[in-house]
Amino acid sequence: MLRRVPGGRFAPGRGPRAGLRPLVRSLMPPWSRIRLLPAAVLVPCLLAGAGWAETWRQARPGYRLQFPRDHASHPEYRIEWWYYTGNLADSSSRRFGFQLTFFRAGVRTRPENPSHWAVRDLFMAHLALSDLQTGRFHFAERLNRAGPGWAGASTRTYRVWNESWEAGLGSDGRHRLRARDGDFGIDLELEPGRQPLLHGQAGLSQKGAREGNASHYYSLTRMPTRGSIRVDGRDFEIAGLSWMDHEFGTSFLEPEQIGWDWFAIQLDSGQDLMLFQLRRSDGRLDPHSGGTLLEASGQSHALGRSDFTMEPVRTWQSPHSGARYPIQWRLSLPGRKLSLTVTAAQPDQELRTPRSTRVTYWEGAVVVTGTRGADPVTGRGYLEMTGYAGRPMSDVFRGGSGDQ
Amino acid sequence: MFLFRTFILRRIREEKLRALATVLGVALGIAVVLAVRMANQSSVRSFETALETVAGKTSLEIVGSGSGLREERLLELDWLEQFGQISPVIEGEARASFSSGDREWLKILGVDILRDETFRDYRLVRFAGRQQSPSPREFLELLSDPGAIVLTQKLARRHSLDPGSGLDLDIGDRREALTVRGLLLDRGPARALNGTFALMDIAAAQWLLGRLGRIDRVDLRLKPEISIDRAEAAIAARLPEGLTVQRPSRRGRQVEKMLESFHFNLTALSHIALLVGLFLIYNTVSLSVVTRRREVGILRAVGGSRRQVAGLFLAEAGLLAALGCALGVLLGGWMARGALRLTGATLDRLYIRSAAEPVALGPEHLVLAFAVGIPLALLAALVPALEASRVAPTEAVSGADRVESRFRLSWRQRWLPPILSTLAVGFACLDSVEGIPLFGYAACLATVFAVAFLVPVVLHFSGRAGSRLTRRWTGVEALLANANLGGSIPRISISVAALAVSLSMVTAITIMIGSFRETVQYWVEQTLRADLFVAPATRSNVYSESSLSPEVVRVVADNPRVAAVDPFTGFVIDYQGRRVLLGSGDFKVHLDRSGLLIKAPRQGQSAMRTAIGEDAAVVSESFALRHRKAVGDRLVLNTDRGRRAFRVAAVYYDYSSDQGVVVLDRSTFRKYYGDRPPRSLAVYLKDGLDPEGVRAEILAALPLESRVFVHTNASLKAEVLRIFDNTFTITYALEIIAVAVAILGVATTLVTLILDRKPELALLRWAGAEQRQIRKMVIIEAALLGAVSQGLGVVAGILLSLILVFVINVQSFGWTIQFHLPAGFLLQSSLLILLATALSGIYPAFRAGRMPPAREA
Repeated sequence: MLRRVPGGRFAPGRGPRAGLRPLVRSLMPPWSRIRLLPAAVLVPCLLAGAGWAETWRQARPGYRLQFPRDHASHPEYRIEWWYYTGNLADSSSRRFGFQLTFFRAGVRTRPENPSHWAVRDLFMAHLALSDLQTGRFHFAERLNRAGPGWAGASTRTYRVWNESWEAGLGSDGRHRLRARDGDFGIDLELEPGRQPLLHGQAGLSQKGAREGNASHYYSLTRMPTRGSIRVDGRDFEIAGLSWMDHEFGTSFLEPEQIGWDWFAIQLDSGQDLMLFQLRRSDGRLDPHSGGTLLEASGQSHALGRSDFTMEPVRTWQSPHSGARYPIQWRLSLPGRKLSLTVTAAQPDQELRTPRSTRVTYWEGAVVVTGTRGADPVTGRGYLEMTGYAGRPMSDVFRGGSGDQ
Repeated sequence: MFLFRTFILRRIREEKLRALATVLGVALGIAVVLAVRMANQSSVRSFETALETVAGKTSLEIVGSGSGLREERLLELDWLEQFGQISPVIEGEARASFSSGDREWLKILGVDILRDETFRDYRLVRFAGRQQSPSPREFLELLSDPGAIVLTQKLARRHSLDPGSGLDLDIGDRREALTVRGLLLDRGPARALNGTFALMDIAAAQWLLGRLGRIDRVDLRLKPEISIDRAEAAIAARLPEGLTVQRPSRRGRQVEKMLESFHFNLTALSHIALLVGLFLIYNTVSLSVVTRRREVGILRAVGGSRRQVAGLFLAEAGLLAALGCALGVLLGGWMARGALRLTGATLDRLYIRSAAEPVALGPEHLVLAFAVGIPLALLAALVPALEASRVAPTEAVSGADRVESRFRLSWRQRWLPPILSTLAVGFACLDSVEGIPLFGYAACLATVFAVAFLVPVVLHFSGRAGSRLTRRWTGVEALLANANLGGSIPRISISVAALAVSLSMVTAITIMIGSFRETVQYWVEQTLRADLFVAPATRSNVYSESSLSPEVVRVVADNPRVAAVDPFTGFVIDYQGRRVLLGSGDFKVHLDRSGLLIKAPRQGQSAMRTAIGEDAAVVSESFALRHRKAVGDRLVLNTDRGRRAFRVAAVYYDYSSDQGVVVLDRSTFRKYYGDRPPRSLAVYLKDGLDPEGVRAEILAALPLESRVFVHTNASLKAEVLRIFDNTFTITYALEIIAVAVAILGVATTLVTLILDRKPELALLRWAGAEQRQIRKMVIIEAALLGAVSQGLGVVAGILLSLILVFVINVQSFGWTIQFHLPAGFLLQSSLLILLATALSGIYPAFRAGRMPPAREA
């Protein structure tokens, strides 16, 4: 699941205020767009034989994820993202959180214009750094078409980039992340750590009732990380644990799904937990909410809607957007005897991305305490909350009937 | 003030006609100067304004080897992000055809709106119902079809277009159908070029303009804290080979430089009319002094000081000049439009698309008119005014001080002509100042003044010769006319000088243009050997980026009757701050079939052969002159592979561009600049085939939507000469105005002479002369003045034309012109001048004829 349905991130403001429609259109497959264009503008000779009717591929059962092949890009799907988050500290225990995300959103499977600038995909990226000692939060965004190679995601080996920001797999099997904006940035090396954790059914994560409203989704949950980060023009040598998500599909949410709360937690018991809930417009939780728990042994348990409860304890109102986010949660997995309190490491970790994805969301480092049976457990992780400011995510990530 | 009123104003009232003629003369002079200035300003300013408005917040730009850079080079520029944001840009032109049948050229800007929105202000008339500023992604959505174009509201209003309307664009030899997807509010780049600005997505623009894989430049918007100077230096030091950083204004300066010579020469020409106008002032004040010596004497006798006297005459000049300037400003504003139309065609043909509207008449022009016109008029009046102040009171009153009517060789006439001639020769030998032939014009001026000072001498001797002739061969009227003139040489000298000077200019320019035309005709005959020439219909000048599409080239090349095709391609490059055409042709085809006229070295053909496939270039004469390159020198060009030195293999004669042309052999060009579509084709047919027939065949075989001109050899030659003749329309227009002003001067002089000679005329009538005879006499006087002026004018004109042809022309345009004397034309124009001056005598003749005979004497 759904994690980061990035879609979410594509949704603009709440209510009728933002012009979401063009955005939705831009994410829709080409034949649904063609109706919007006067046919006269299309150069006829190019239309012929251009494979105009080609469609985006749907995430369906039967696809077997393989690594490292599937770290790379899957351009036949409309939407894809690579998500890194992590908790880091320098030698004097000064703590930081980071997030680096690359999005690819398909626009047309095969643009008729042979120019390299013709837009097949839009590439977006978000970088955020939480300076937990000062409480300051830095973030930046990128938006590009591929153009001559300004942004892209390779299909052979894993490398995704947006201007000078990039993530990829080195020949030593380590992930390398590099991104910098002005006087903050990261330059990290991540070991793969544990085996990839496949979510849902063998990596197929159902997001909506309709077949095909799903994504292929896996995580690397515990990646030993070292490198340097730069904050306010100062460099810190740091180490810590990161989490990577990679998800691709073509249509995701349904109209009633307005947002989600997503957790990625590494416990000192050796357990890693991914858990999310989808909120519906009627206030109820969506039945496709769920998650996966990876035991220290390597065994994983898929979690369904009934396997957990999630309840907000404390909220914080963003002075920037006015949105009110729950920044403390109580999670309970009775079947796994886990009871956890998740608290934002600092309240302000809200990203506002007017240029690229045009959504406002909260994504930040969290501190976890609680019990496993009778034993105390602690942990760290990342929390993402969408749909608190702006329109329902589903407006953007809905798979319309035209998708079939 | 009282004195001025009675002494000057009354006099002006009495001599309304002369005053009017003077005012008109000054007005025309000022008007022509203003009109030319305004027209010149509009062509440069419209370009610069467009440049500025389109540049938006761009602080620097990165340009490539000539026509843009390969797009993958952008990846070498990622380090620029430390200086600010970058935005790649495609810029092109296309001609829009509207349903009304109107056509307008559009400047198309192709950008990646995701990056460009912070560079330029694009606000739409409406978007999604209400918003004016869509987000970059929404804007991208609007532009993303290959046929999407956004126009300005201004243009849309002119042609009743709306979002959703179709738009036909001619690009090169193609016509493409686009759809208007939005309208820009009148701000930012939309303000440029009277609304003929269009926005497209970079991908669509690349495809539409046939530039896949290339961009024209990269705009850079610096972070606010970085200084442009420092950034420019730092970036220049780090840019990879073949790329250059510059300020957007550099392109404006290039255009300014390109037009500099053209504008300078027009300005110089426009000053002839002003000069003649000033002669008129001198003339009028002199006559005023001459005819009022008695009054001046009385004034001095009753206590008027010399300064007062001089001041009075200067005030007269000032008043006339002020009136002239005021009228000139009005006339100038009106004539500017005409001047722009006349120069516009030339600019379009030879340089750049020019402005449609002249700049508005502004305070600057008023200042120019009055601050230049009045002081110069006062200066012109100074000599006669000082002369008036030297009148001895008693003698003038008693009548003993007769104005000198007999010719006497003064020191001025004795010494100035030889001194001025020497100066003229000296100036003619000096080099240009930064490409402007300042000394050439100084030589002209010196020649003109030398001629002016020679006028009395010439009048004296021609009068003597005339009296011998008339005594023997003609009637009494001519005899009297000649004698009259001989008796008033000091009075008529000025008018004759003015007319002679303007006629000499006309003659000189006629000879220059005639020689030039002969030269071009010869060059065309020698050079244009191909049977057919194929070019896109949208090609407007040698710098035009219009190119031929592959289908058209194929149709031509595949025709079985075609023996060889020489494709020409090229684009404008910046060579040391100047626009130069870098071209490529097939040297082998050229050598086999064409007759390129090689200036140097002597073995031109074999020298050119050595350039095939080598790093060698053939350069035009104007390039060689402007950039001081001779055969064997090296010139360094920015290529796609970095800077490379090319040997100058030969210098050839070329009259198509005064900015200079550098031509590389096709293979060399392809090596350094890649494959570019041809701009035109020279087609050679198999022997003995009818070009008209093949032309029809080719046209029939072309795709229906092709917009191509196929010229036969004869029609292209005719076209070249037609363009040539068009180019000089303005020159003739300016000349005719100057001559008209000068003839006006002759007429006023005659009127004055007649008034002055009232007693003599009365005596003649008393002695039995009929009105008819008096009239005839005056008309003959006028014609004689015309004849002497034209005679002098032709002689001086030939001298001036030598300076024009061999100094000014070479220095400003870098063209060798073979001197050619258009005798027939000169004869014709002489007769015309004689006729015109004779006609100008009609009014004075009638005034003279109406004078009553003397009652007593």
